[in-house]
Amino acid sequence: MTALAVVLAVLALSPFLWLLLMSFKTNAEIFRFPPRLLFDATLANYAALWTSEFRNSFANSLVVSTASTALSLLVGVPAAYALSRWTRRGSGAITLWILASRMAPPIAFTIPYFLVYRHLELLDTLTGLAIIYLTTNLSLVIWMMRPFYDQLPRSLEEAAWIDGATMWQGFTRIILPLSGPGLAATAILCFLFAWNDFFFALILTRTEAMTAPVAVVNFMNYEGWEWGRIAAGGTMIMLPVLVFSFIVRRYLVSGLTGGAIKG
Amino acid sequence: MIAERTAGFARQQHRFFVFCVAPALAVLAIVTLLPSLYLLVTSFTPLSLTRPETLWDFSQPLENYRQLQADERLHNSVWVQVKLSFWTVLLQLLIGLGLALLLNVKSRLLEALRTVFLIPMVLPPIVVAIIWKVIYTPDISPMHGIFKAIGWNVPSLITDPDWALTAIIIADTWEWFPFTMLMVLAALQMLPQELLDAAKVDGASPWQVTRHVTLPFIQGVLLVAGLFRLIDSIKAFPLIYILTDGGPGSLTEVTNYYSFLQAFNFSYLGFSSAITVALLAATLLLSWLIVRVVGWGVRVD
Repeated sequence: MTALAVVLAVLALSPFLWLLLMSFKTNAEIFRFPPRLLFDATLANYAALWTSEFRNSFANSLVVSTASTALSLLVGVPAAYALSRWTRRGSGAITLWILASRMAPPIAFTIPYFLVYRHLELLDTLTGLAIIYLTTNLSLVIWMMRPFYDQLPRSLEEAAWIDGATMWQGFTRIILPLSGPGLAATAILCFLFAWNDFFFALILTRTEAMTAPVAVVNFMNYEGWEWGRIAAGGTMIMLPVLVFSFIVRRYLVSGLTGGAIKG
Repeated sequence: MIAERTAGFARQQHRFFVFCVAPALAVLAIVTLLPSLYLLVTSFTPLSLTRPETLWDFSQPLENYRQLQADERLHNSVWVQVKLSFWTVLLQLLIGLGLALLLNVKSRLLEALRTVFLIPMVLPPIVVAIIWKVIYTPDISPMHGIFKAIGWNVPSLITDPDWALTAIIIADTWEWFPFTMLMVLAALQMLPQELLDAAKVDGASPWQVTRHVTLPFIQGVLLVAGLFRLIDSIKAFPLIYILTDGGPGSLTEVTNYYSFLQAFNFSYLGFSSAITVALLAATLLLSWLIVRVVGWGVRVD
């Protein structure tokens, strides 16, 4: 059984490993079959990326993902807390609304955003992207954090109120410091969503605000088929994702289902 | 006196909660509700970016919806979508379930393997698309290398009319089988040990235990996983964009992709909006189904 599982794992991962290896190969090596097990690894593909426009796109991805995450947490966390402590009135409708914005096909948002951004001059700007990422990330924050606060006993902040703390102090001094693990996981999932996005960035950016996933695809379309650079670019995009996902793997299920299932 | 203070406190608490929730709901309304309404409005116009005067032209509000019924290419896209959704959801459920049952053993190695199996799912979709573009490009593909070595002459799958959709299905299944696996594994952890022990005491074989105890226990999770994958399969984009661009012909053109082409290649935003409204209605219906199935949003205190 174990042997079978190992074989399957290697088989399932081979396409991914192939891309990883490709990023260290010269063009001649990429076209060689059967591949040599020990080839002369080169960092030339990465070096080529680092001196190209790709570097800006990579920075754009970092900035816009961080900004969208920060914004979603800032607006979403207090709401999650209040929704957790409040009565249930209306929460059913809000639930469906939030779930629907998680489920809606991205194109449903892209068309109106595209039209409005043309007038607001937000096309091809990082601000424009950060705003459209709120559509998913804000609901994600509320749905990750609300169950988390449900588990924190109310007696915590009630004790603080009795000692004369205001509501706001109870939240910022008692509840927030206890939210560390939940906040970290939520922040990472928000970051990953924005980082992984391809569709919104493809349509709402051109050159200035182009993100890394779109830039990598441009290596395919306009600059000929530079497989080594494509592989290196892909690897650079997935590296932070793999690290972060490993950290939050316990929360992946509830993140992907928008909080419907607790994994 | 005390009652007064309690009432004052309740009012204060209420104000605070409103203060916390209001900004989030306002932002959510601006970023999701307004655009959806605008989408609906656009769907009543013949909007095309090449003709700016069409932006507020409501002379024939239902024209787009009439065209929906007559557009052969749209009907084809729905059929492609049905095939893609059916096969990817089915394969992902089967493979995910099989792997979960295989890996549901307490062992250090297998627990590490679970994490390894998650990799396809967490990869950025664009990277998944690149990976499969490499596999499906004969010049550099290890798969085609092997085919050639054993004397098979296999054409590039993504340009072959008989294989293009299958190629997409394979790639999508690879990307998302971990999702079912992860959900089933999570459910299996909650399977009470007593149930399994009782079955064993009664002399049930491992196959019988799986068939009569484990499977009934996780069928709810399978249903939810299937529904989630079904909804997500409607959004399939990067794989199709990178691998086949909807082709050959329109053999891999799903509705979402067709709508994208209408809007951003042909610039018919009005017509595309009408298609998207229909898509949105379909996903809302499925979401509502999920809420009903999971009883989600109804909190058990």
